[in-house]
Amino acid sequence: MHDLDASLAELRNAWIAGRSAIESAPPAWRDAVGEDELALIALAGHASDVLTRRTPGAALVDRPLLPHLNAPFVPEALRARFRRLLARPKNLPSLEQHLIAFISARGVAAHPADWMPDAKDDWAPDLYAPWLDWIRADTRAVALSDDDISNENYELWSWTERRKALAELRARDPAAALAIIAAKAGAEPAERRVRLIELMQVHLSEADAEFLETLAKDRSDRVRSLSRGFLARLGRAGDTAALAAELAAMMSFEKVGLINRRMRLRMAALKTGAQHQRRHELMQIVSLGGLANALGATELQLVEAPEWQLEEVHAFSAMTAETGSDEAVRTLLTHLVRERETQLSALLPLTARLSTAERAAMLPELMQLDGPVPEATLEIAGDRIGALPLSALAASPAYNAIRANVEAAAGADDNLRRNAVPILEQILPRVGLLLDQAGASALLAQLTSWGLSPAEPMLDMLHFNAALTPETTP
Amino acid sequence: MTLTRSAIEAMAPDQSALSAASALLKPAKWPVRAQSGPLIWGECQGSGANPYRVVADTSDIGSKCTCPSRKFPCKHAIALMWMYVDDAAAFQPGAIPPWVEDWMGRRRKGASGTAAATGASNPKSMALAQEDAGKPLDPAAEARKQASAAKRAQDTRNAVRAGLDDLEAWLTDQLRSGITTFVTQPGERCRRIAARLVDAKAGALAGRIDEMPSRLLALPTDERVEAAISEFGKLVLLMRAWRATPDDPELRREVVSAETRDDVLSNPDSLHVAATWEVLGERVSTRRDGLVSQATWLLNLDPHAQLFALLLDFFPASAGKRGAAFVAGDRFQAELVFYPARSPLRAVIASRADAQGEHSWPEPPADPLAAYAASKLDAPWRIEAPLLLPQGRIAAEASGRAWWKAPSGGALQLRVSPPSLAFGADISKAAALWDGARLGMIAAQSNWGRIDFNA
Repeated sequence: MHDLDASLAELRNAWIAGRSAIESAPPAWRDAVGEDELALIALAGHASDVLTRRTPGAALVDRPLLPHLNAPFVPEALRARFRRLLARPKNLPSLEQHLIAFISARGVAAHPADWMPDAKDDWAPDLYAPWLDWIRADTRAVALSDDDISNENYELWSWTERRKALAELRARDPAAALAIIAAKAGAEPAERRVRLIELMQVHLSEADAEFLETLAKDRSDRVRSLSRGFLARLGRAGDTAALAAELAAMMSFEKVGLINRRMRLRMAALKTGAQHQRRHELMQIVSLGGLANALGATELQLVEAPEWQLEEVHAFSAMTAETGSDEAVRTLLTHLVRERETQLSALLPLTARLSTAERAAMLPELMQLDGPVPEATLEIAGDRIGALPLSALAASPAYNAIRANVEAAAGADDNLRRNAVPILEQILPRVGLLLDQAGASALLAQLTSWGLSPAEPMLDMLHFNAALTPETTP
Repeated sequence: MTLTRSAIEAMAPDQSALSAASALLKPAKWPVRAQSGPLIWGECQGSGANPYRVVADTSDIGSKCTCPSRKFPCKHAIALMWMYVDDAAAFQPGAIPPWVEDWMGRRRKGASGTAAATGASNPKSMALAQEDAGKPLDPAAEARKQASAAKRAQDTRNAVRAGLDDLEAWLTDQLRSGITTFVTQPGERCRRIAARLVDAKAGALAGRIDEMPSRLLALPTDERVEAAISEFGKLVLLMRAWRATPDDPELRREVVSAETRDDVLSNPDSLHVAATWEVLGERVSTRRDGLVSQATWLLNLDPHAQLFALLLDFFPASAGKRGAAFVAGDRFQAELVFYPARSPLRAVIASRADAQGEHSWPEPPADPLAAYAASKLDAPWRIEAPLLLPQGRIAAEASGRAWWKAPSGGALQLRVSPPSLAFGADISKAAALWDGARLGMIAAQSNWGRIDFNA
């Protein structure tokens, strides 16, 4: 083989140089081809194809086999539709994260030939932790035993399993989780430090304050900002009184009403764009507690009193979610939902502070505030997706929009039909993700009775939902 | 709008479309005919190797077919609707397949109404079309046709011979000017000789040379000279084999053009294989000459020497995106008729039915590359050949380059990166295309079931 390789190399060199290779050919080949250069290249090409084979430049590394997950896969009969849903047309936004959350909520996992998380997909449900570890080549022993995570065994856990174990520990024993985070977070890179400190949102208490204060000088902006927010929620806002006073001067907090006297918080009229910009910046810096102090009120008095326009609600809602106490968050949320004049997207930061169960319980009510395309409802549903009864949809703007557009799509007016289809392509997949199995079946029947063909691809998600029976109680 | 014979007549683009449709009314040409609500669909074994998928909405007479015809509706869509009007009961109620749903999502409703209005001013008749189809052939006209075809074939041979003389001179020039010069700018050089070969009626060879630059440039720089030598060598072998036997059907197909489906079916030398086939995968690529090639690879699940089949169609890129003919993993029983060749591979479907019973992939040969070497002795000009690989793993070098690796240690480098799952799967059998330097994985059986690759 060595001789053949050497002979082929000599022939190559001759042809690279643009000279005849006949003289460089092995004698037997020369005898066979005579002076026919083209016959020689035919022989050389064939020999190279059949008799030589490239070998790896370095040792090949076998990855461990992909581990199994602790859940059944999407049933075989539904996999083709599931793949189609993952590969949505390029002109439509991807619903990948919601779809993966949806099947997890039904107690099933994606087959790895259909979907696998990327190394950066920290959003993937905990179910996929073994695959994330495998993709990240994080082969630290996951099967430790039944021991809890501790300072002693912390390094033995893969990152994915470590985060999952700490989240569980925080829910069960906040002090034990704090002790581990305080001891180990400093050694993690910034991105992971943020993820660890985020876990402290659950059962955040005065006991956490001492550690959070040590993060004031952290190298990462995001860590510093996160710890500032947590401290503010504990009533330890670090912002200066001067900034809070500057912001307070741009607002009015006064008594209104002749009979029912009540407090009203409003944004003061400003003259220039620069002033508006400054107020917006201050609302991102000043804590709710700091603003309350500057206005001579309590946090709760402020959150019960806002009356203003959409953009300002967004900023105030974000400020409260970032720095307000749990009670302030719930009070503001209740107030805004009751008023029914605020778009649901403005409430997203506030709902993020609720527990999963609280969000699920409020979802039907919140959906009524959403637009025809229930995008914000989908965000709020989080991992409790696919559990909404049809009655909740029927009371929401999405339902009326579906009916009106289905009628337009089936009607004779070309313009109305052209406009209706893209709207339905936005609404129906999202509704298909939100509804429970019975709701999806019932809506499919309704849509068909309204004239929509069951073969419409925009119904794919509803069909998938209706056919995917929960493996466990979500 | 109701689907009636008169509505079909009004909608047909011309009388010849109706006549052509009337020739497709035989149920044997339609392995699949089904309906659900207002939708009817079917699969027609047309002149291509892959079947055409046809769907129509009887409520508004909208339709779609995967054939490359520029007529709308095409003869297949007309034939489907015609058969439905004549005998709706022959359409079995069925679950709407994904490709029909896909069409529903893409279609622009109302287009058929325009066609119908246009057609109304140009009367056409289905009855006349059936009369045309039933007309006996005129023997004198047939004889004239055959004589003319023979003259055309002789003219083609003469033209091709002159074209190959030019190709030989071109190859010599490339060697004389240094093969490195060629691999640094193969595009323009190949384009020129390919254009000359098109003029010389060697269209198939021209297409192959036109695609050579993309095959070379897909390789790392240090491998291109060796690959160019291999490509040149195959051209020499093909050119000289054709000169020796220009009427050999396989060589004519490689140099001039492929036979029609009817030619293959009527050729007594064609190999017929009735078996259960699994669709391994499909490769669709747009060529530099403006044609899209649609290659569907099939694996024989019955014990038979003919392990693989290739359904190959070409259609103009301007005809738009075409739906896949099959879904990877589909299984069916079919009689395939192979284009006559020393090592048959390309085939057409003569008849097809649903697969019966359980089947598994056949056992791979002990040395899959021995089968490759044998096929290269039969047809040394072939660019790639399918392999059935035994148990192995997909492993990577530190640089990330992926290889298929046998337990014994032998390794073949993959052409493109595989899906992540492939690195974590225990592969029991795999089907792939090997070109002597790179392995294009098509599909594999593994501990995770079937894995599809982008071949």
